[in-house]
Amino acid sequence: METIIPKISTSLLALFKADITTQWRNRRSVVLMLLVPVLITISWQSAIRLTGGPFVLSNGIGLGLIAMGLMGYSNSIARDREKGIFQRLRVAPVPSWAIMMSRLLVQLIMMVLITTIVFIVGKTCDGIKLTPIGYILTYFTAFISGAVYLSLGQVIVGLIKNSETVNSTSRLVYFVFVMTSMVAVIGATSHDKGLGTMIANAVKWTPYGTVTTMLSASMQPEKWTMDTTWALLITIGYIIVFAGIGIQKFKWESK
Amino acid sequence: MFSASSSLTGNLIQMDTQQKDSILTVSNLNVQYGSFQAVKDVSFDVRAGEIFGLLGPNGAGKTSTLSAIEGLIKYTSGAIIVDGYNAKENPLHARASMGVQLQSTSFQPELRVGEILQLFAGIYGVPLANGRLDAILQEIKLEDAVNKKFSELSGGQQQRVSLFISTIHNPRLVLLDEPTTGLDPQSRRQLWERIEAIREKGHGVLLTTHSMEEAESVCDRIAIIDHGTIIAIDTPQALIDKHKNDPEAIAVSRRGRVTLEDVFIALTGKAVRS
Repeated sequence: METIIPKISTSLLALFKADITTQWRNRRSVVLMLLVPVLITISWQSAIRLTGGPFVLSNGIGLGLIAMGLMGYSNSIARDREKGIFQRLRVAPVPSWAIMMSRLLVQLIMMVLITTIVFIVGKTCDGIKLTPIGYILTYFTAFISGAVYLSLGQVIVGLIKNSETVNSTSRLVYFVFVMTSMVAVIGATSHDKGLGTMIANAVKWTPYGTVTTMLSASMQPEKWTMDTTWALLITIGYIIVFAGIGIQKFKWESK
Repeated sequence: MFSASSSLTGNLIQMDTQQKDSILTVSNLNVQYGSFQAVKDVSFDVRAGEIFGLLGPNGAGKTSTLSAIEGLIKYTSGAIIVDGYNAKENPLHARASMGVQLQSTSFQPELRVGEILQLFAGIYGVPLANGRLDAILQEIKLEDAVNKKFSELSGGQQQRVSLFISTIHNPRLVLLDEPTTGLDPQSRRQLWERIEAIREKGHGVLLTTHSMEEAESVCDRIAIIDHGTIIAIDTPQALIDKHKNDPEAIAVSRRGRVTLEDVFIALTGKAVRS
């Protein structure tokens, strides 16, 4: 009797259905993921006059993507690893990369959801409208931005095995990013040009800074500069480094 | 000369027949964690229509051996052949030929029983047409559980779902890691009936258990592993017969006759392992 290996597309579809159902049933975490970007987009209305709509939208999307990568992805991976869910899947005839690919596809949907909701809230509450090419380009850069935070989440689950520690670390890192965004907005709206420039330079090349620079420029493609290209390249560099460390250090079981 | 040659040929034929009959062949398996060697030169085979028990005290190397067969850990050297497939060269074929029930099975807590069955049917490429899911649930006496979460099931029900998932693709080899732990006698009896049904279909079963009574009554052959090495391998009765006059086995015997548990303690020692 010949052993039949199921088609990878069949396995991937089954995994994806299960992962998307899991995500859907975790609606509270989805709401929390969307809450901060929506609040930022609404509450920073007064900053639009000084910084422009794209700055506010890019911060909203950026913080949503951070919540997705750090609080959503890394915590779910740490939990499933600790409960032995991955081990059960790994004894099946499905390559390990397919198990992760399915998880990442769900996160891709989350990225689209976060970006779309921020666009809707921005348009409805703040009247921020982009050109069609601006919308398309922003979706594209949102995927790259999301990849930075997913790979950072991967570093956390790669270096830390205990799910509780992963949870607290990801919250701490998320808080650092929120503070960075606050500093960025202080820099951008500061009346003191010297202080503003100093803060802007400090934040500019951090993972948060490059992502918001890139997102902001993609919303108004005519303002894409050499600095934006550099931000894109550095962002890709962050992805390579974080994903490299995260994948290399990752263990499928927490023992 | 003729007789020697004939005997050699006979042995070769017997070995060949045995190998062909083997669903799992483990040869000179070594597993190392850093400087600690968990499994040392372990060799055994599981034949078609056989329940093979791998017994050993805690930390003896049972789970490491099982994990190496399941493909969960990389082994240092040796060979694992599952239904003719080398686990190192054809890992997906090897895994498709076996069904695995891990010691503590866990599924996504958000998923319901029906969804879990659909997930694993998809992963193993088993079509679940309309009505088939209900038939399965009826078969494992869980008709009302389709919309329940796995954590809402009793221990016995969870084991039934886990065992069903392990055999959903009708594998030639089934690996069960301590399948009866935590089950009440009724659930345990029912589980053994299911495991025996797998054997009757001509499939091989490799299991680990701490219950010597179960191993004695259910396993066709057993291997006792300690400190990473197999120290005995035979049918339960042959092992008992071999050691029935062993002073150490007699000394630990509590029923007036030597049982498999007495043989086990005589071979592995009385000291409690962590």
